[in-house]
Amino acid sequence: MPLLEIRGLSTDIRLSRSTVHALDEVSLTVEAGETLGLVGESGSGKTMTALSIERLLPSGGDIVGGEIWFDGVDLAAASEQSMRSIRGGDIGMIFQDPMTSLNPVQTIGEQVGEPLVLHRGMSGSAVHTAVRDMFELVGLPSTERSLNTYPHQMSGGQRQRVMIAMALICEPKLLIADEPTTALDVTVQKQILELIDRLRVERNMAMILVTHDLGVIAGRADRVSVMYAGKIAEMASTTTLFAWPRHRYTEALFEALPERAAGTGMELYSIPGLPPDLVSPPPACRFAPRCRFAIDRCRTIVPDMEAVPDDSLTEPGSVQEFACFVPCTGPLLSADELVARHELDARPVDVADRAWVAPTTEVPEDGVTLLRTEDLVKDFPVTAGAITRRRVGAISAVAGVSISIGRGQTLGLVGESGCGKTTLGRLVVGLEKPSSGSVLFRGRRVQMLRGAEAREGRRNIQFMFQDSYASLDPRMRVRSVLREPLEIQHVGNSRDRNKRVDELLDAVGLPRSAAERYPHEFSGGQRQRIGLARALALQPALIVADEPVSALDVSIQAQVLNLMKELQRDRELAYLFISHDLSVVRYLSDMIAVMYLGKLVEIGPAADVYARPQHHYTRGLIDTIPIADPAAERAKARLGVRGELPSAMNPPSGCRFRTRCPAAQEICARIEPPLQVGGGGIRPHPLPTSSGPASHLVACHFPLNTEAVVHKTGRKGS
Amino acid sequence: MIGYILRRLLQSVAVVIVVTIIVFLLLQALPGGAAHAILGPRATPAQIATFNEQNGLNQPLILQYFHDLGNWVTGNFGFSYKLNQSVSSLLWERLPKTLILSGLALLLTVIVAIPIGIIQAVRRNRTFDYIATALSFIFYAAPTFFIGLVLIDWFSQKLPWFPPEAPQSDGIIPIFQDFDAMVLPIVTLALLSIAGFSRYMRSSVLDNVNQDYVRTARAKGASETRILTRHVLRNALIPIITLLGLSLPALFAGALITESIFNFPGMGLLFWNAAQQSDYPIELGVVIITAFATVIGNLIADVSLAAIDPRVQL
Repeated sequence: MPLLEIRGLSTDIRLSRSTVHALDEVSLTVEAGETLGLVGESGSGKTMTALSIERLLPSGGDIVGGEIWFDGVDLAAASEQSMRSIRGGDIGMIFQDPMTSLNPVQTIGEQVGEPLVLHRGMSGSAVHTAVRDMFELVGLPSTERSLNTYPHQMSGGQRQRVMIAMALICEPKLLIADEPTTALDVTVQKQILELIDRLRVERNMAMILVTHDLGVIAGRADRVSVMYAGKIAEMASTTTLFAWPRHRYTEALFEALPERAAGTGMELYSIPGLPPDLVSPPPACRFAPRCRFAIDRCRTIVPDMEAVPDDSLTEPGSVQEFACFVPCTGPLLSADELVARHELDARPVDVADRAWVAPTTEVPEDGVTLLRTEDLVKDFPVTAGAITRRRVGAISAVAGVSISIGRGQTLGLVGESGCGKTTLGRLVVGLEKPSSGSVLFRGRRVQMLRGAEAREGRRNIQFMFQDSYASLDPRMRVRSVLREPLEIQHVGNSRDRNKRVDELLDAVGLPRSAAERYPHEFSGGQRQRIGLARALALQPALIVADEPVSALDVSIQAQVLNLMKELQRDRELAYLFISHDLSVVRYLSDMIAVMYLGKLVEIGPAADVYARPQHHYTRGLIDTIPIADPAAERAKARLGVRGELPSAMNPPSGCRFRTRCPAAQEICARIEPPLQVGGGGIRPHPLPTSSGPASHLVACHFPLNTEAVVHKTGRKGS
Repeated sequence: MIGYILRRLLQSVAVVIVVTIIVFLLLQALPGGAAHAILGPRATPAQIATFNEQNGLNQPLILQYFHDLGNWVTGNFGFSYKLNQSVSSLLWERLPKTLILSGLALLLTVIVAIPIGIIQAVRRNRTFDYIATALSFIFYAAPTFFIGLVLIDWFSQKLPWFPPEAPQSDGIIPIFQDFDAMVLPIVTLALLSIAGFSRYMRSSVLDNVNQDYVRTARAKGASETRILTRHVLRNALIPIITLLGLSLPALFAGALITESIFNFPGMGLLFWNAAQQSDYPIELGVVIITAFATVIGNLIADVSLAAIDPRVQL
């Protein structure tokens, strides 16, 4: 008998005027000790499934049908009293955002110990001892003092460790982890996932891992359930699902992943349209309206779960189940095969589909580098004292960064949060004043421009924000949003501006009627299109895009990325593309720059940096970021960046990465390695760096592959 | 912590000094000046000149100000010719009474408003919530003098439960001996703030019950009562503490309208009468006391905020 068996679970959420049918006939099982991955886009019902099991639905939410058998009890019908004894006892739960999920005014010792008080009736020093043991287990300092820490005094990774300790302290049989690492940095994400996995195995605990990230699923789950619009689309063992998905939705999800198309120059497959509104879901297959392969039957009959044998599981009778009338007939294509197929049907980019092809930028093509930064430095002063506000130190956000971007090029900027990539973007746009160094736009210092020239200058560099909702004035119609930059810059008369608004909406693929609507009426992806349209309004030469797709679902992300690429081709736009997601950066960029704690540690052609990283940090990042390939995920399980980002207030001497670097030696603390071809220490006669803008530079005393290079040259010499 | 309080006290002194400058200048701008007000409208120019000479009122403003400031620092707020008594002795007599009235009203507010707000939030959009909401809107909107008169009419005239007038005795102890007479003024004063604070508390609790940490507590198996008392309450009180601190100045300044309706001899009534009779030294004294109470109230609010919210560092 499985540990958890959900049969035909339906959950509704009553709103004031309508009812959202969040889950519809969801069935799944979890065996003792196994990890089930629950994957889907936002609104697919994966979190609702998790919350239904614990009966922790938001207000208005109710289980309206089905059974949830856990350990011999039907949780859907259990009394509130018995639910309370199961929650935190036999079922532990970890939530997405550890900052908001912890009580800000209680010490972590108190919070972690609470389940023991509730379920085991323990008190006083017994709780203390147990909590300290648990802290030891999850890698938190286990002194008496650390019990009295408050959540705000810890880092994000530590807080998630607290959440894990809290969920596991009563040794549950089932752990539900709802997007446990989405709010964390990639390097921390990996450490947290490893910790959960280790404890799960040690305690032979079953786990439901809810996530939108196929990469996370690939490395951690035994079996996967794919959800779409409140229904299970497909269920299979992880290896099978990633090799040969049957449901057309699963297939489309894989094809929308940027890492598969990276380096091929191909457009991503983007699922057209939006997920359905679950107030009145499509009558038959819910994916049919967006599906390339949908036939008439898909729109009239609800597809039943079909089962085929699943070979990759050793247990007899394992099946791959899917609800699709037109399942995929063969395994997923590899990247190489994709390219081959792409060349075969070499579909020209459908320019004809667009009503309007944009005029290019107003910047002449004369060989002057579009944007350069020279030794850009930004320190944020840290002050103390109520009256005197004396300066007690500085946060070194950007420390001597020189980059250049050519016309029509994309420079991808990656690094963990806190590495200074956003500050660099803001410096380039002029939202921050540099402490020293300069930003040169076409050879002229941006800070030196005054008056009309300065206003003119600002047209050429525009910003695209991460949070499309917060960055659009909720009380302005889209027309006003798009007209505002034109008005500020006195472009044309009223009629010209309205015409430009129409053109911009065409360019970003929104209907012209969108101009009369308000930002909240759009979905996240559509809002990001509006953000892009606003950035394009003044025909800039460079757009600084700060994490423009990180809040979007995979299928929507592909739409926006494709659009950005297309506009770049049309208009010779340049992008400074800031992201923590290496695969997205790799897909879009010509050059990749890697930042660590304010320093540029490596820069070079995208393919080269990705394939042959020379800095240990770049290498670590690549190894850390989960990719949607179970084999690759397991192969690099033991690799990656360890520890957490040190404070930028007193950055480490010498090489700032040395505290986390596997190759660090004594010289790394003494001498800061210069950014140069091939890395190494300071050379009396530096190699000529004028080998074009595409040279691969690294700031490391002991760069990766150095030996190989030495070996090769040595052989040549002999 | 102690350093912080000292720094804040220094800031407070600066604020109070600025207030005294403003008040001083305002009083200078009054028509006729102090001599006119004290000697009456029929005073001859010669009498006024003599008075100004005697009281240093013909000196430059800046000297006058520093002279006055020196007096205030030593607790000398001048002499009320109208009441023929020194202002400081008047303030010493009135301040404790006002503190009793306003303090008890504030206490009643806290005791009543916070539970009402919590119950409203827990049972939102149910009968109790609707009734409490309707009542709080009525009390918030109704003028204090109206509520006071209605209470006198009902509970003193129609039902002879309480006397219509506050205790008139001089000391503090007699007030408590005649506590029946204090009930109506306290209730009148409290009703308005109960209406306000129950709304604040309701929305503060509502803000918190939908927070992620409450879901976490539920996922640990905590009961709803425990969630409310152990988790929500302390978080919900954080904004309330600040609001309470900000209402402290009213405690010192006294409740002008309530005190005059019930003829309660507190600071409010003192100020009211002084204003009507152009008794400037009294007004000056009350304003300075209130300014001081305001900065101290803010300081207390900040310190208690730090005590309840570990994220706030002083």
